Amino acid sequence: MIATVVGSYPRPKWFREYLKRIEGLQKDLDVEIDAEILRKAIAEVIEKQREAGIDLMTDGQLVWHDFLATLATRIEGFTMDGLIRYFDNNLYYRRPIVKDRLRRRGEILWDFKLALEIESNLKPVLSCFTLAKLSKNEYYSNFEELLWDLGEIVKEEIKGLNVEFVQFDEPALLFASRNEIEIARDVFREICKVNAKTILMTYFSSAENVFPEVLDFSFDIFGLDFVEGFDVNLKLAKEYDLESINVGIVDARNTKMEDLKDLKAKLERILEFAKDVYISPNAGLEFLPEDKAFEKMRLVSKLKEVFE
Amino acid sequence: MKTTVVGSYPKPKWLLRMIKLHNEGRSDDKVMNEAYEDAVRAVVKDHEVAGVDIIWDGEMRRDEMTSYFARKIDGFVIYGEVRVWGNVYYPKPAIVDELRYREPLVVHEFEFLRSITDKEIKVPITGAYTIVDWSFNEFYKTKEEAVYALAEVINRELRNLVKAGADYIQLDEPAISTRPEELEIAKNAVEIMTEGVNAYVGMHVCYGNYSKIFPDILDFKVDQLDFEFANRNFEDLKLLKEYDFDKDLGFGCMDVHTRRIESVDEVRRAIEMALEVVDPKRLYIDPDCGLKLLPRDVAFKKLEVMVKAKNAVELEFGLT
Repeated sequence: MIATVVGSYPRPKWFREYLKRIEGLQKDLDVEIDAEILRKAIAEVIEKQREAGIDLMTDGQLVWHDFLATLATRIEGFTMDGLIRYFDNNLYYRRPIVKDRLRRRGEILWDFKLALEIESNLKPVLSCFTLAKLSKNEYYSNFEELLWDLGEIVKEEIKGLNVEFVQFDEPALLFASRNEIEIARDVFREICKVNAKTILMTYFSSAENVFPEVLDFSFDIFGLDFVEGFDVNLKLAKEYDLESINVGIVDARNTKMEDLKDLKAKLERILEFAKDVYISPNAGLEFLPEDKAFEKMRLVSKLKEVFE
Repeated sequence: MKTTVVGSYPKPKWLLRMIKLHNEGRSDDKVMNEAYEDAVRAVVKDHEVAGVDIIWDGEMRRDEMTSYFARKIDGFVIYGEVRVWGNVYYPKPAIVDELRYREPLVVHEFEFLRSITDKEIKVPITGAYTIVDWSFNEFYKTKEEAVYALAEVINRELRNLVKAGADYIQLDEPAISTRPEELEIAKNAVEIMTEGVNAYVGMHVCYGNYSKIFPDILDFKVDQLDFEFANRNFEDLKLLKEYDFDKDLGFGCMDVHTRRIESVDEVRRAIEMALEVVDPKRLYIDPDCGLKLLPRDVAFKKLEVMVKAKNAVELEFGLT
């Protein structure tokens, strides 16, 4: 069993204040960030994950203003629009607009690469379908063309990373149409040819909307939200015999600390059939204040200890 | 037809410095309170000079619209800040115990304001639904239970407010338009909050898509509904026409998200559009939302323009 996290982590307070000082409330491009300062912040967040007992870590996505803007501003063809609510959270993202053909301008995840210099056991967290779906398409004649171009760019990026795992956070798949899911299947089959274990994370809802098509997406590991959709996701995982699962079991959106016994009982039901299990919070931890985010990671690793 | 404000006004720069000193322990509570009172005097003067009919204190004492109240109510704790967007964070409260009344939330603000002005006063307070929606809930089994418990606390404050002489209360509920599926909870909460409260009650709703809360929003037991119209080019007036709007209207007609000062003429035309929906007697003209994010001179000029536009309409229609 591997203890992991989903992606984002609250920024250390001093780093938050630094960003606000140099960027104001929000900047489109993050070119002015001092690499040494960012390195220090990432190192701090990696150290926290290690201290909490997380096996497979992330860079915390510390310069990401929201889940879409970082990718969108680093890929040619997007411009940024006004704020929109991010699913059912009190968190807002700037809507990317596709104004031109999408092109890879150069390295996208330079902040992740910086993190790799500090710690090699990291997974990059990206989005392809969700970025395309939550953007406004003003250039491509249809969604399919947009997703294919974006998929190509993302695949190129992964090739240059040389990592063991790569994760796609795709909450928008849970609310997609059948046609969109079929397009996603074809695009992801292509992306998943990369030389890394691929993880698909879904959250904010149960995943019934993507089954059974998702089985043909070619992902190695399916991430399901067992906080928002325990019963449905349990049924789906059993029915489709999912062996490799990322179990999002600790609530990343509430400060309430779960009872370890309850978590154990839930996880036992999943272990009845799953062989290769990753456990994590059900979403990125940036929904929580710093101290609570740390406690939630501790909870994940304590849960793992229970089974060792 | 009267002009009013939604609530907040830019804090004077010197007040922000004082707050910083106070937070660092470099000035005592007495000096800080004097600074708040002087800031309120300055805001009131701005409102009086601009000619606004119904005023508030600019929310000089409030740092933020959720945690300010949460800190004064037993059962809440604040662990730290979380992000709203970009580099904007807020101290998100968590409900960790039964919510109970502890100390005045707004009565002290009202009493001071009453002592320094003869103007009509509106008292804004964040509503129970919005505070709970913007908090973590560790204690109550459901969000609904938490909302109703908080509504009881607020009800006690509103009763005290009326005893202190307030006659116009505004519930700020920006969160309700972001979760239309929970409108019923918010509606019940309004009934709990206003139970036995003998005052004119308005409700301010902003942020979301109004078409999703119409026509159900018309069933809320409030005298007035206050909406932002300017930042969506007054298109939402259509909704009011479509559903036979029959409450008093708080008509947000100054865009608070732009520093551009509207012309008297464009605001006058906007007010005329509003008059196609409600009678002048039932029209309250105000900015879209609180003015606190604007530079102070811009906020003041917007109020001036708003008052001039209202006066022009009254003159034109012989309403004075």
